[in-house]
This record gives sequence, structure tokens and C-alpha cells, in this order.
Amino acid sequence: MNSNKQEKTGLLMILLRAAVVILIILMAVPQVNPARMSELINKNSALLTTALSRTSLLGDFSRPLKRGWVAGGTLDLLYIAALLTALSIAATGAGWCMSLGEKRLKKLGAKIVTIASASGILALLLMIPVYISFISSGYVNRLDPMFPPGFFVFIGAFLICFVLGLINYIKLPRPAENEGYEMKPKYKLFLMILPFVILCFAFAYLPLWGWRYALFDYKPGRELTWDRFVGLKWFTFLFQNPATRADIARVLRNTLVMSGLGLAFSWLPMAFAIFLAEIRSSKVSRVVQTCTTIPNFISWVLVYSFAFALFSTEGFVNSLLINMGIIKEGVNYLMSGEHIWLKMWAWGTWKGLGWSAIIYIAGISGIDIQLYEAATIDGAGRFKRMWYITVPGLLPTFFVLLLLSVAGILSNGMEQYFVFKNSANKQTIEVLDLYVYILGLGSGGSGNIPLATAVGMMKSLISITLLFAANWASKLIRGESIV
Amino acid sequence: MSIALKEEKKPRLYRVKKRGFKRTPGDIVFNILNYTFFISFTLICIFPFYYLFINTISDNELVRTGQINFIPRGIHFNNYLMLSNVNDLGTSALVSVARTVIGTAFMVFASAFVGYLVTKKEMWGRKFVYRFMIVTMYFNAGLIPWYLNMSMLGLTNTFWAYVIPGIVAPFNIILVKTYIESIPAELEESAFIDGAGHFTIFRKIIWPLSKPILATIAVFGAVGHWNNFVDSMILMSNKPQLYTLQYRLYIYLQTSNNLAELMRGGKISEAALNAALNARTVKLTVAMITILPIILVYPFMSRYFEKGIMIGAIKG
Repeated sequence: MNSNKQEKTGLLMILLRAAVVILIILMAVPQVNPARMSELINKNSALLTTALSRTSLLGDFSRPLKRGWVAGGTLDLLYIAALLTALSIAATGAGWCMSLGEKRLKKLGAKIVTIASASGILALLLMIPVYISFISSGYVNRLDPMFPPGFFVFIGAFLICFVLGLINYIKLPRPAENEGYEMKPKYKLFLMILPFVILCFAFAYLPLWGWRYALFDYKPGRELTWDRFVGLKWFTFLFQNPATRADIARVLRNTLVMSGLGLAFSWLPMAFAIFLAEIRSSKVSRVVQTCTTIPNFISWVLVYSFAFALFSTEGFVNSLLINMGIIKEGVNYLMSGEHIWLKMWAWGTWKGLGWSAIIYIAGISGIDIQLYEAATIDGAGRFKRMWYITVPGLLPTFFVLLLLSVAGILSNGMEQYFVFKNSANKQTIEVLDLYVYILGLGSGGSGNIPLATAVGMMKSLISITLLFAANWASKLIRGESIV
Repeated sequence: MSIALKEEKKPRLYRVKKRGFKRTPGDIVFNILNYTFFISFTLICIFPFYYLFINTISDNELVRTGQINFIPRGIHFNNYLMLSNVNDLGTSALVSVARTVIGTAFMVFASAFVGYLVTKKEMWGRKFVYRFMIVTMYFNAGLIPWYLNMSMLGLTNTFWAYVIPGIVAPFNIILVKTYIESIPAELEESAFIDGAGHFTIFRKIIWPLSKPILATIAVFGAVGHWNNFVDSMILMSNKPQLYTLQYRLYIYLQTSNNLAELMRGGKISEAALNAALNARTVKLTVAMITILPIILVYPFMSRYFEKGIMIGAIKG
């Protein structure tokens, strides 16, 4: 009966929802933090952060508090005001969720938004006495009081929400007495998944916003202001400054050589699986498979501890050679810069070969056994069957993995190279990922964050282009996409 | 592509049959070479574990003079008992265990719940929401923006930095979703007719039925959490008490390496040299402790590991 009377969401409701969303987003923007009543408060903290943790709001007040420039109660008031403001915003969020419901719930949602906005305004007004006590304390130059522009932004936003909420509340029809608080399943499901969407946004999309650092002259602890905007300076710097240009060339060479080694030997897991299938005893092949997979599950730090145990000055290799009388003095193989590319490839193979072979082993078990039987009857020997049946059966898988590794040619990850890096092999071990880390964060806070961001940004863009290219190639050749 | 995950089918490998064809001398040579290769590669894979182990339980003096290579001698467990003297190790172990348990629990719950929700056709904006999450597998803002983002969110130097970013794991969501889609829809429908809500259906039907896939992603998640050290290194710069065991081990290994470097230059006294060498056993023991959970868990979990890569490969 109700279906043909499908009510449309009114413009006012849409406006209300949008206003609440904007209010919630504002809470996470540091520039408009209404609680920043003093220059002492960190300018990079948003209202959300300052409300969640007291130290992020008042951490820098320990000296004024100790000297008695400001009363503890004033600061408590400021924190409570920030907390109440944030809670009010959270309540408007709850009202937002309810406004997706049916009549009765919708009306309740509008009511909650109205009340929460009003309480938000009251909470904000609590901050004014704090400001007054700051400027009248007699230590104005110590406390650096300021009246944050965000204060008015929030007052305005709350007012809009209040007015819209009130209008919606009045205009929404009074629900029938017997009507319950109901919501359509489609919105219920959406609200259930919403927290996870927000988490995903915060940790996968929000970092992209950090790319702006590549366009500014930024040093840790400083503020990003428009007068530090330098445009593409860091990108041109990268190629014009001889030192960085040489670095980039060296790092790219390392990256490409090591990825290239991996690509050149990418048939190894397939060969491993094919030859393992030729082992007749299933017990032996089981044991081989289990033992060769374990290394994949230990971290690179542990791999390095193995390397340390085996190849350092007092390690296995040296003590063995000394005991046999071949050498007199131990050599620390980890401290040499020779054959680093091969060594890194060897460690990678040691760790990953058995694991990468599993997918091919699964592939072999998927090949129709009748093919082998038919080939045997036709007189094909063991090697012929391997070459003409098993290998072609595995090639599609091999092809997909090869394309994916071509797409990931710039991303070797940094862990392996980071743990094996030392002063002797630094020149040849630094891959792009490691270089970005060292450039930006590796030198104890004095790193060049914009430059590192610029390098990382270019890497990301090239990688995604390569991925698309690989996908396109796959579609072209196999008619199937890989991503 | 849909895959029947519930059948616990052991991969049947094609094997050379004894009867049906004659073994030529070439075959025999090939077999010998083949077995030799696989046995030696297996030994290479497990020897480091064994070597590390015998070096931590053998007489320290023999270890110091490099006499323990293949067979343990003078077995004792003092090195393990002495670990309690190594500062911060206990806290680090606790942090590692806590992040592994809590992080994995959150991730598994979230993957199961989101995986269930995205199978619900009636959800508002389902396609968009699903793609919004899945597409994050293919791009990455980079290390520095990630770090700046974490510090902007106020997560640096807090324990939750280990847990929260890993809760939404797109790949695991795909796995769970694919699995749930293979569960007969009638089960859910009948429960729905009986008046069960989404939470009840999830708790009573979806969760118990998808346990195999949840176990698989739990194992992978736990290994990932246990092995991660980069987040410790980058995010916990001001909170050494939140370092994980892996990062602590890395720090120990680095200090000893630097000592070795100094020794080469002859800038260090005999006493310090002995201390450094003793430190070597300590380091190996810490490494052993760090590996132990993986080795202990591995035999029980290997089937999940293997299943994981197979379904990962044929995701659809």
C-alpha cells in the first residue's frame, strides 16, 4: 500500500545531512580547531585529536602551569569544552544515521541533531571564559592567547545544523502512535558497513592528501602555509641537482638489476614444482614441501639473524674454514660490498622458492591425468611429457605472475635491503623504497620530507601505470584481466 | 571464478607410475640428480634453524671458539634462562603478542563482517562501497605520506597504530566474500523468514560456516603482525617501550654488528671483545625466541598456509 506513495527525501533533509557531514569533517581539520586558544597548542592537532587525548591539547602547558601563569582549572575547562564539543558532533552524527530511517526514526534524528547542535554551541561558549582568563592573566606574552578562526566556523556550522534540524523536525509529519522506530534494510546495511568504509578512507585514501607535501618547502614541525608553496621545485631539483641525480641513477640501477634478476629467474618456482612432481615418494615430496616453505614465514630480521649466525666473523662458514685450515682469520662476509645483487637474490630465493612453487604444484594437480596417460601410450617419455604437457599447463599461471612482477618492478619493498644494509654495501643495496625511507625519515628527523614524497609519488604513479599496462597486455593476449 | 573451498581435497599430483614404462639409465640418473637437488635444498632451508638452535644450547665457550657446527655439545639452557636479564625483552614480547592477538582478532572480525555485508544485494551503494575498499589494493600513496598521515591522525607512539590500520584488509575481504557466496543462500533466507536480523544471521550462520576461511586469514594475519618491524621503527620513535620483538632483535643485531666492525679496526679492548662475543649468543637466543612461535605453529597451520596461496591465486 505504501509502495506507490513512495516519499521522496526532501531538499531540506538533504541539506541537513550535508551540513552534519561537513561538521564532522571539520572536526578532523587542524586549521579550524576551535579549541586552539593559545599559540602553545599544537597547530597540527584537529579538534578530534585534542578531544581524544588531553596531552595533545595541553601537553605544552606544563611550564605555564608550573610557574603559575595559568590556573589548572582554566585548562581543565578548555579540555572539557573541547570534549563536549566533540561529543555534540558525535551526537549529530548519530542523528544523521537515524535520519536515514523511516518517519518516526527520521523525526527523532532531526530532533537529536537540533539538540546536539545547541549543546555544541553551549560547549563552544565555554571556551570564551578560557580565552578571557588567558588575556587577563598578566602573562599574555607567555601564554600567547589567540582567538581561533575555527571558533566562528564551528559556531556557524552548529547554527546551520540547528536551524536545519529544527525546520526538519517541525516539517516532518507526526508519526502514528503505533509506528515503531524503523529503517529500511538498505540503509541499515549501509550504516553497518560505514565504519569500515571510514577506516578504509582514513588509512588508504587520506595518505594521498600527503602528496601535497611534495609541493611545499616543508620541514618537520613547521606549518604548511601558502608562502612556502614551491610548485614543482622538488621535482626539477631531483633532476637538476647533480648529487640527487646521481643518487637516483644509482638507486634505479640497483632496483632494476635486483628486480631484473628476480624476473630472469621467475621460472625457478615452476621448475621446482615440475621436478618435485617427478619425485615418486609422496612422503619425501611432502617433507620437501613443508621444509622449503617455512622460510617464507619468518621475517627479514630473522633471515638477517641467520645470515649473521652463518656468515659473520665468528659464524658457521668462517669457523668451518678455520677448523679445516683453509683460512687463518675470519672474514665478515656481511660487511663486504661484493656481489650484493646476487646475494640479495639468493636470500630472496632461499626464502621464497618453496612458497612460490606451491601455486604451480596446485596447477600440476589440476592438469588432467588422462593427458599424461594418452601421451604415455603414444610413446612420450618422461621429459617429453614434462615439456609438452606440464609446462604448457602451467604457462598461463606463469604468465600472470610474470606480468604482475613486471608491474611491481619498482617495488622491491625495503625490509630485506634495510636489514642487510651497512656501510660497506650501501652503494649497491639501496633500492628505491629504501632510498625514499632514508631520504625522508632515516636520518633522525632531519630528512628531506618533500623530496622523499616527490620520489615516492613518482614511483607510485609509474607503478600504477605499469599495472594498467600489464593488465592491458593480459587482456590483449589472454582475453582476461589480472587485477 | 568460483571455487569450492569447502572440499578438503588434497592436491593429487601426477606421479610417474612404476608399471607401464621401462626405466632407462637416463631415468635413474635423472632420479638421482633430482633427489639430490631436493634433499640438499631442503637441508639448506632448515639448516639455519638447526644451527641457530644448537648454538644457543651448547656450551658457550665451545660456541665462542667456533667448535659447534653440526652437533650440539655441552647442552645447557642457561642462555634462555638469562634472557630475563636482557632489558626490555619482556615488554617487547608482550607488545608483539598483544598486537598479534588483538590485531588479528579485529582484522578477522572486520573481514568476516564486511565480507558478509557486501554480499547483501539490497545494501545502499553496495557496488561503490565494495570497489572503494578493493581498489586500495592497487595503489599506495608511499611511505612518507603514510607516515605523515599516521602522525596527523595522532597514532604515532601509540599501541593502536599497530592495530587500527590493519583492520580493513581488502584482500581478505575478497576471500571471505567469495567464500560466503558459496554458502547456500537458502540457509540465510530461512533464518530471515524466522525473523533473524543481520547480526543474528551473521553470528549464528555466517560466522560458524565460514570458519575455514577465517582460520586461513587469521593465520596469515597473525604471521604478518608477528613479523612486522617497519611500523615499530617508523611510528614508535619516541616510545621504545612499544617496540616489537622483531625490531628489538634488529637493534640487538645491529649493535653487535657495529661491535664487530670496531673490532676489525682494533679499537676495542679484549674484555669488550669477550663481552661482544657473549653478546652473540644472547642475540642468537633472542632470535630463537622470536622464531619459536612460527615454528611451533607451523605444523598445525601449514594446510591453511597452502590453502591461502591457492585461493589467493584464483581469486575471483
